[in-house]
This record gives sequence, C-alpha cells and structure tokens, in this order.
Amino acid sequence: MSVTYLAIGWNRNKIFYDCVIAAAALLYVSLFIRFVPRAGDGPMIDEPIIRMRAYGSCAFLMLSAILCIGPLARLDARWLPLLYNRRHFGVLTCGVALLHAYHVLGWYFAYSPTDPFVALLSSNQSFARVAGFPFEWLGLFALAMLLVLAATSHDFWLSFLTPPLWKAIHMGVYAAYVAVIGHIALGSMLAARNGALAMIATLSVCAVVPLHLLAARKSLSGGLFRATAQRQGWIAIGDPQSFIEDRGTVIEIPGGERAAVFRHTGKLSAMANACAHQNGPLGEGRVYNGCVTCPWHGFEYRLEDGCAPAPFTEKLATYALRLENGVVWLDTAARPPGTRIEPLELPGDAA
Amino acid sequence: MNEPSFFVGYAASLPADTKSFLLKVAAGWVFLMGALALTLSVATDDPGDGHFAGDAVLTGLVTNAPYPVLFLPPDAGHPLGHAVLLAGDGKTGAQSQSLSLEGKRAKASGYMLKRGELDMLVLGAVSAEPAAEPSASFNPAPLGRWRVTGEICDGKCYTGGMRPGTGLAHKACANLCIAGGAPPVFVSAAPVEGSIFLLMAGPDGGPAPQGIADLAGLPVQVEGDIERRGDLLVLKADWARAKEE
Repeated sequence: MSVTYLAIGWNRNKIFYDCVIAAAALLYVSLFIRFVPRAGDGPMIDEPIIRMRAYGSCAFLMLSAILCIGPLARLDARWLPLLYNRRHFGVLTCGVALLHAYHVLGWYFAYSPTDPFVALLSSNQSFARVAGFPFEWLGLFALAMLLVLAATSHDFWLSFLTPPLWKAIHMGVYAAYVAVIGHIALGSMLAARNGALAMIATLSVCAVVPLHLLAARKSLSGGLFRATAQRQGWIAIGDPQSFIEDRGTVIEIPGGERAAVFRHTGKLSAMANACAHQNGPLGEGRVYNGCVTCPWHGFEYRLEDGCAPAPFTEKLATYALRLENGVVWLDTAARPPGTRIEPLELPGDAA
Repeated sequence: MNEPSFFVGYAASLPADTKSFLLKVAAGWVFLMGALALTLSVATDDPGDGHFAGDAVLTGLVTNAPYPVLFLPPDAGHPLGHAVLLAGDGKTGAQSQSLSLEGKRAKASGYMLKRGELDMLVLGAVSAEPAAEPSASFNPAPLGRWRVTGEICDGKCYTGGMRPGTGLAHKACANLCIAGGAPPVFVSAAPVEGSIFLLMAGPDGGPAPQGIADLAGLPVQVEGDIERRGDLLVLKADWARAKEE
C-alpha cells in the first residue's frame, strides 16, 4: 500500500526474485549461444543471427511466464509472491526484447544505403500475404507495447494515471503476446524445417489460454455467494457460522456490484470487494494485523470504516449488516467510502 | 482444507510453506529455461554450405546484363569457363564499378563467397586489363522453355553473405539486397541441366523487376526461357506471372 508512489520498497525477497529471473535469462541466452551446432571452425549460422534468436526466444518465454503468473496466483495463493514483483519481470523481458531488436536492426537491416529503421518498415510490403507477411511489424508492435508497459511500470505512473487507466493500459500485454505469437509464426515457424519452436510456442499458448480460462471460471463462480432472499434493499447472506474467522466471503449484490464480508474476533464487517489500488479481489484476502489485506499487493483497510490506516488515504465503500432470526442480512445500498459502520457482533461469539 | 499461509507483498519474510514452494518454482524455472535453450539451440536448421572463401584476384570478361558477372576463361575444372557473380560491399550491386567495363577484359579483386558451384566476388577494386589473349566467348546457348519451382534469393546472402541467407526470416534482407543491385538468384527445387542456381533476368534479358520482392523467400513457380552462358544458367521470365506454390 502507499501514500505516495515510493512506499513499496525493496526487500530481500524482491532482490532474490530479480536475481532468479535474471539468472534464468542469462543461463538461457548463454546455453543457446554456446550449443548452436558448429560447422567447420565456427557456428553453423551467423553470430548476430544466433544472438537475435537467443534473445527473441528468451523474451517470448519470459512473456509467456509473466502471463501465467496472474491466473496461477488466482488459482493457488502460493503463487501470489510472484505476482507482486511481476513488473520487474516485465521490465527485464522488455530489455531482452530490445536486445533482440538491436541485433535484427544491426544485421538484417544494416549494411544498406537505406537507413535501418526505414529499411525495417519499407523493405517488405507483402501485407496481402500470409507467408511472406512483414512479420517485423508485429514484433515492432509488441516491442512498442512492452516499452510502454515498462516505462509506466513504476508506482508513480500508477498514481498519476489512476488505477483504472493504468490497468487498462497494462492489459495491452495481451495484445503484445498475440503479436509475438504472430511474429514467431510468420517469421520462423512457417519456414522452419524442424518443429522445436512450433512445439514451444504451442506449449506456451496451451499454458496461457487454459490458465486464464480456469482463473476466470474461478473468479466468476468460486467462493461467490449469492443472496438467498431479498427484502427492501437488504439481501440474506447466510448463517453467521458460515463465515470463517479472518477470511472474506464475496457477496454478489443484485445489479452487479460485489461486497466482501469479513469475520474478525467474532464480528462481521462488509466493504466493497474491489481494492482501491488495482481493483484486486479483497474478498480473497485475509484479515492481517486487524486490517483487511488485499491479496494482490497488500493494500490494507480497517474493518469498521474501509479506510487505510494512517498515513495512507485509500477508502472503500462500506455496507451495513444486521442479524435477523439467525440469518445475516446485508444492506445493498453502499455507504460513501470511509463511512464508519460498527461491526456486527455475533451472539455468543465475541472475542 | 490445509490453507497456505497468507503472504503480503511488502513483508520482508515469507511464510515457511510459501518459501519452500517458491524455492522449488525458482529452481524449476531456471532448469526449464536451460532445457528450452538447449532444445531450441541444437534444433537450428542447417543453412547450407555458403561461406566466405577468402580474398581473390580474378581476370575475365565483364558483362552487366542482367547483372554484373565476371566470366573466367575455361580451365581444367570448368571446360565451359566459369561465371563469377559480382556484388558491391554491403547490400549493393557492383554496377557502379562494372558498367564502364562492359565487354572488356578486367582484373577484379575482392573477397569470395561460395556455395556449391556458385561463386560471387564482392568487389574491392576492378580495372580494365589489356587483352593479351582473346577473351573466351560467352554467347548465350538457349536451353528452351522451362517451368521451375524454387525460391527467389539474393545471390549475395545465398552464397554465404549471411547464414542463413534464405527463408521468410531473411525476406526483408533479401529485398534490400536485390533493391541495392545485388544479383537475384532463383534456387530451383530440382536441378536444371545439372544446376540448381539460375541467375534471374526479365523476359528481355535485362534486370528482374523490383516486383520480385513480393515473392522473395517464398516457394514460387515460374515459367521462362533458360540459356547457358559459360557454366551459368540464366532464367529469363515474366516474373509478374510467377505464383506462390
């Protein structure tokens, strides 16, 4: 959580995370370059082409992994720590992709009277073809997208652009991934005599797509509680004992909104389910040190008023609860963000 | 259900079960990347035997249609004489140096690119030589009309200027080379009169049209007249009618 964009700092976990992704990338590129088959006294293909293939395929695999982390974290909370540092992974991926582009420009589009950037955009105009399509444009689009995402990855931009806009921009990573798949398919797989790259690209798609579908299914149905009865703006949300201590339950409110109900020290509180940071699912979080903690990035909110503890300033809408004939009811009219509502004490269950 | 400990992003330490799990993930990721690097690296396609063949000084007859060629006199290895394609440095043709020497005997120096029987000299210097002996005759010998299937390549990268110098990934580079004046070569899928390399020409025997760029790097089929000049085959075709296979 943050009161400014500087509050989330480095710690040993983040440094270790970065070291692992950097070491894996370094190992990948080193082994790729070292083990290209040799012919005579040198490698079978040109050194710059080896490097552009090594960096390009490395960036693709890293991008695939980045896209898998999100749904994996939704499906199994043990993956969550990887999600928190995903921006570092993305910036490194962008750097590796830049090295790929650097070698492409410096080899295929160099040594010509035409400027390399002009040559990149003009030397192949076969836009009407599938085989022969200027796949470089797809790579260029993906690289431009990765550059935008990397450049805006700092919390300053999250704060400056506001979370909804920042999130919308960063959803562009999916467009980049699709462009990269096209870049690989049209530039390499169509002409390759062996199926290694095609197999790896297929595995990537077969990991990324199903994981997102599974995570989406869980988000839509898993743990979501729907009202069993509705009366004058209130909905029945179940037996008090069905709420687990220090855990959240996501409630679907008629009209599409979602609330998160938490039980802590035998009392129930309700607030908006979407975190003020990046719309993370608060109901999947937990009560930690007396505050609701978002599972995505650790933003915290007080149970009684939906406010982040001082000096932080984020606020969430709150919901009134009442107990009637052994059933918990929730008022579907959200209170303005930060409105204090006394937690509902459950009979015989006070701390 | 045994729930894992809850991890908070800014916490300095990880819960024990999460830490153990993530250490395995980290080790798995590093191992996976290493394994994938090896898989892709060793699966590199063989680009053929095009290579740099060292410096050379050659003397022969210069012609420029459809592209600059130096015809070397017959010898024991080449009873019909030997045609050496000429190109300039980088992605350029040799026309700026060779046009003024059309039909003359010249001494050319530079470095050689070689793939099979196809030779290219990347010109460093070239100058006219006195005709101390009669130049060999390289009058075209018609071989008839042929329908051939193959790939349009730039002769410089194909002979070893780049490895690989063919295929879709190389298409834009091939287009740049051909636009710069490097001789385009049609690499036939099946030998024609014993050769799979044919120097490309327009139907009138002049340079191939720039429109061939659209088909470079692709498997194409084209019909045209083939003629022999020394040991070089020249394919004169209406390239606008070539079609992708």
